[in-house]
Amino acid sequence: MFDQLFDGALLESVFRALIPILLAAIGGMVCERAGVFQISLEGMMLVGAFAAVAGSYLGQSALLGVTIAMGVTGLFSLILGYGAVTRRGDPIVLGVAVNLLALGLTSFLLPQLFGVRGVFQHPRVDGLDRVAIPFLSDLPLIGQALFNLTIPGYLALLAIPLIWLFLFRTPIGLRLRGVGERPASAETLGVSSTQYKYAAVVFSGLACGLAGAQLALGNVVQFAENMSSGRGWIAVVAVMLGRAHPAGVLGASALFGFAEGLGFRLQGNGLPVQITEALPYVVTLIALALARKRFHRILELTAA
Amino acid sequence: MPNALELRGISKSFPGVRANDDVNLEVRRGDIHAIVGENGAGKTTLMSILYGLTPPDSGEIVVDGRTVRFGSALDAIAAGLGMVHQAFKLFPTLTVAENVVFRNEPRTGIFLDRDQAAERVRALGSEYGLMVDPRARIEDLPVGLLQRVEILKALYRDAQVLILDEPTAVLTPQERDNLFVTLRRLKDRGRTVIFITHKLGEVMAVSDRVTVLRGGRAVAHLDTASTSPTEVSRLMTGRNVDLDSRPPPSELGSPVLGVTDLTVSDDDGLVRVDAVSLQVRSGEILGVAAVAGNGQHELVEAICGLRPRDGGSIVVGGKEVAAAEMALTRESGLAYIPEDRHRVGTAAGGEVWANLVMGFQRLKDFRRGRFMRRAEVDEHARRIIADYDVRVAGPAVAAATLSGGNLQKLVVGREMSHAAPLLVAEEPTRGVDVGAIEFLHRQLIEYRNQGGGILLLSAELWELLALSSRIVVMYEGRIVAELDPAETDEAELGFFMTGGRR
Amino acid sequence: MMSHSSSDRLSVVLSIVAALLIGAAVIALSGTNPLSAYGEMVDGALTGSGLRNTTARMIPIVGMGLALSIPFRAGVINLGGEGQMVLGGLAGTLCAIYLPGPPPLVMVASIVAGAVAGAFWAFLAAAGQIWLKLPILISSLLLAYPARAITSYLVRFPFADPTVTSSSTVPVPDANRIPKLPLFGGVSASLVLLALFLVAIAIFNQRTVAGYETRMTGLNSRFSRYGGVGVDRQVVWVMLASGAIAGVIGTHLVVGETYRFLDGDLVASGFAWTGLLVTLLASHRPLPLLAAGAFFSALQIGGLAMQRNVNVPWQIALVVQAVVIVVLAGRFVLSWRQREQPDEIPMAEGELTVTGEV
Repeated sequence: MFDQLFDGALLESVFRALIPILLAAIGGMVCERAGVFQISLEGMMLVGAFAAVAGSYLGQSALLGVTIAMGVTGLFSLILGYGAVTRRGDPIVLGVAVNLLALGLTSFLLPQLFGVRGVFQHPRVDGLDRVAIPFLSDLPLIGQALFNLTIPGYLALLAIPLIWLFLFRTPIGLRLRGVGERPASAETLGVSSTQYKYAAVVFSGLACGLAGAQLALGNVVQFAENMSSGRGWIAVVAVMLGRAHPAGVLGASALFGFAEGLGFRLQGNGLPVQITEALPYVVTLIALALARKRFHRILELTAA
Repeated sequence: MPNALELRGISKSFPGVRANDDVNLEVRRGDIHAIVGENGAGKTTLMSILYGLTPPDSGEIVVDGRTVRFGSALDAIAAGLGMVHQAFKLFPTLTVAENVVFRNEPRTGIFLDRDQAAERVRALGSEYGLMVDPRARIEDLPVGLLQRVEILKALYRDAQVLILDEPTAVLTPQERDNLFVTLRRLKDRGRTVIFITHKLGEVMAVSDRVTVLRGGRAVAHLDTASTSPTEVSRLMTGRNVDLDSRPPPSELGSPVLGVTDLTVSDDDGLVRVDAVSLQVRSGEILGVAAVAGNGQHELVEAICGLRPRDGGSIVVGGKEVAAAEMALTRESGLAYIPEDRHRVGTAAGGEVWANLVMGFQRLKDFRRGRFMRRAEVDEHARRIIADYDVRVAGPAVAAATLSGGNLQKLVVGREMSHAAPLLVAEEPTRGVDVGAIEFLHRQLIEYRNQGGGILLLSAELWELLALSSRIVVMYEGRIVAELDPAETDEAELGFFMTGGRR
Repeated sequence: MMSHSSSDRLSVVLSIVAALLIGAAVIALSGTNPLSAYGEMVDGALTGSGLRNTTARMIPIVGMGLALSIPFRAGVINLGGEGQMVLGGLAGTLCAIYLPGPPPLVMVASIVAGAVAGAFWAFLAAAGQIWLKLPILISSLLLAYPARAITSYLVRFPFADPTVTSSSTVPVPDANRIPKLPLFGGVSASLVLLALFLVAIAIFNQRTVAGYETRMTGLNSRFSRYGGVGVDRQVVWVMLASGAIAGVIGTHLVVGETYRFLDGDLVASGFAWTGLLVTLLASHRPLPLLAAGAFFSALQIGGLAMQRNVNVPWQIALVVQAVVIVVLAGRFVLSWRQREQPDEIPMAEGELTVTGEV
């Protein structure tokens, strides 16, 4: 049974599942590094998915959809930015409320703009094409999975080394980490934490826009109510498990992608869909439990 | 040659407080200039004005003969001022070099030049005798080295005037002497040092001139060579204070705390308390002297039941404490004044009564079955407010509105009000002014005289020497010496605290 | 209890006004006169069968709000109310359908079964935090997904009603259903249960030692621990209570309302999340929570009427709800007052926060 399970097609579905989570987690990771507790990834991803479909429908271009998605989520992220950074509101309450706002707003706009409930599909909605890299995409096993991706897919994978370089090898990255760790110390050296935190929050907005676009124009070509369905939360966990390190976050996202891809495959092998859909969440919980890390920061934030 | 720094008529008010009132100050180039004052005399406000963190209401700052206006810390750095804060402003997970070059990073292209950063730190270190491994992480360094990093930060930014805020508070006597050597070397190389402190001995030992602050005003400018500790002390407090008089011993009774072979680990599993045994009897104060991080805090937490122990036994009030539970130790007759009154000792969002009943809420006096007897709780709160002179309108006021000294009195009052046989007091006078220190010291002595046993931890060695009946020294989790305060001094304590053996 | 200054109350009122204005703007942008839309909302929520529907909806919304307020007040963030509600709902339903015995007893047993199932699921999250150091915030939320999967599987396969096309259980026998009260034309008797929960929680919070201790833990858990409070044990208890009430609400939604457990039905309504917003708006205090719950229920029922009559999707109610909390939590109003204060000052009390120490 197992040699049937593990093949190039499985790897492909792993990457399909992985990329939206990874994109959102990259945004969350940068926020974490800047000291912003970012749990509105789920909502921003959902808004991104909606904006991507709406943009693609209006302009009949997938890339326009992606651009609009990023623009809209970039703006949407300012709610958390203003509330948590400038006004110093509770980031947990704000994050939860922003998620619910995203859910309410998208399910309000769906019938209002497109006259349908639940799911919106339309031939005018242009999906993201996969761009095959010559030769590499013909490699056995990994070719299709790694080298025949959408543009957001490539961006997600490229972002990992780039963000590593940024965080650990550039002056701005150093300051961002400093701000996240001890904003008051940064302030005494003339580094304003506000700017860096805003930048990080907006970056997470853009990343979630891309994640949503990949979800709604890449993985499928449609918008469905609440279609992010917990992926943003899994991204939050990926940041925790990966200790906000690019390699760790990639690893954690890959684990969840694998669980989802495997679930998808097992479904084909006769397991009920209700059970396989829960697999990524169960894997997430088990991974967290096995990690047995003390998540000091979040535990302290939640005070118990 | 103009003065390195002058302040002219600096005033600053906060709601209800005039923190600085027409303060004038002249600091000569190449001097070590001490600024002394009690807590609340306006030292900290003056420093944050100097460093561009708070704008003054009026007055001007003159650096090198030029009037400057600081909009931010950056302006102060640009003007050649460098500040070493009392609470270090470092980034724990970053390296020494990264901390030093932060915001003035050497680059190659768009990237950080890490080798050059390390090299600059090494060069500065050898020039001033401030050697630190540039690639070490801050969180792995001992406190004494952290201060070096702070000074290196200022020197890296080419500070001509270094301002050190209570620099010796966290240092051992030996580290303190090293710091003084560094300060003199800075002076020799033409830099100016401003040194804020409330410790008179240090003023006399290292400074050239002294400015005394009291009640927000600069009440005196003196040449160190032509003044005396008594004069400075009188100017600081406006009266004669004698904190050093030792109380006569009281009668010893039965043991209230017995610790045998106690071993305790920290959150990361490192052994911090290693087979410690000690005993406190009623009517005595046992002082514990140790450099921060030598296991004394873990020892206290274990005794109080806030931290599980790996081995050994704890007997409080004659009863073996079986499990690490604060409720059990409290029931056995323990009260605890914690070191951190904000994060541990109080809940700022709660009312004064809610803060005053904590720890005793399950006593029969304050409950009827599962219900709280609010009338009794309020009455109890009013009694502590009166007895311990807590300046607050009443029990229903939020604790967040209390000043630091008042909050400390609230904590001390709460813990003392039940006459528990054992009182564990950790830094009972930290951050309160001299008047309150006197008051709190009297309370501790009185508690002892009434037959209480006290385990006292303090970073202020003079406080330990003044109050304790006996002093034990902890070093790296072990008790390395037991001394009679009448026959020892700060130097000897410091010797043992830093691992000295005889 | 915590004192709440008039400025705190003012900021709640201003947040609601701001949210309604933003809602009006959204409605106007979508081409409907916001005044007539809001008029339809008020009418639909408070007249005719609207009043009954609003009252009926208060049961799950206020109920979930109460359920979540218990841990929140102790600084424990239970985001998994949905999973606890759904599992409790299914357990209660199955009991009501399959348990033999005299009907009143079966009804009581099904409510108890719902409570136990919900409490069990909440306990898993609490245990995760205590023994594995997983923050409840995350574990409770993630546990909601397997809970949904389990119920979904059970009602689609082992307990499916083969006679209907939708995935649901067979209906609860008439005799075992929670009866209706003769109020506004028939509101479920679960309302009485809700009132009992409310009173019990109010007394617990205001009068008991444990209520005092949980509030202190919420304000500063290290302080509580220092004061001898068994904080871990407390986490377990507040989560058990929270999950139990959530489970009862889930049971009510089927055994007292729809009578069939339809897959996805309990989740689609979003009651757990609305309840979360309600308790945040009310600062976790029972009586304000009742008021906030009534407001959000009216908003939703009114929204449905608005959708019928002027064709504006009812989800505008969800938008307004979320905006209230965003505005309040982000302290978007009353800024003139707070600018006066230096940064260092500790948080004013009564502020919208789940964390005692930030």
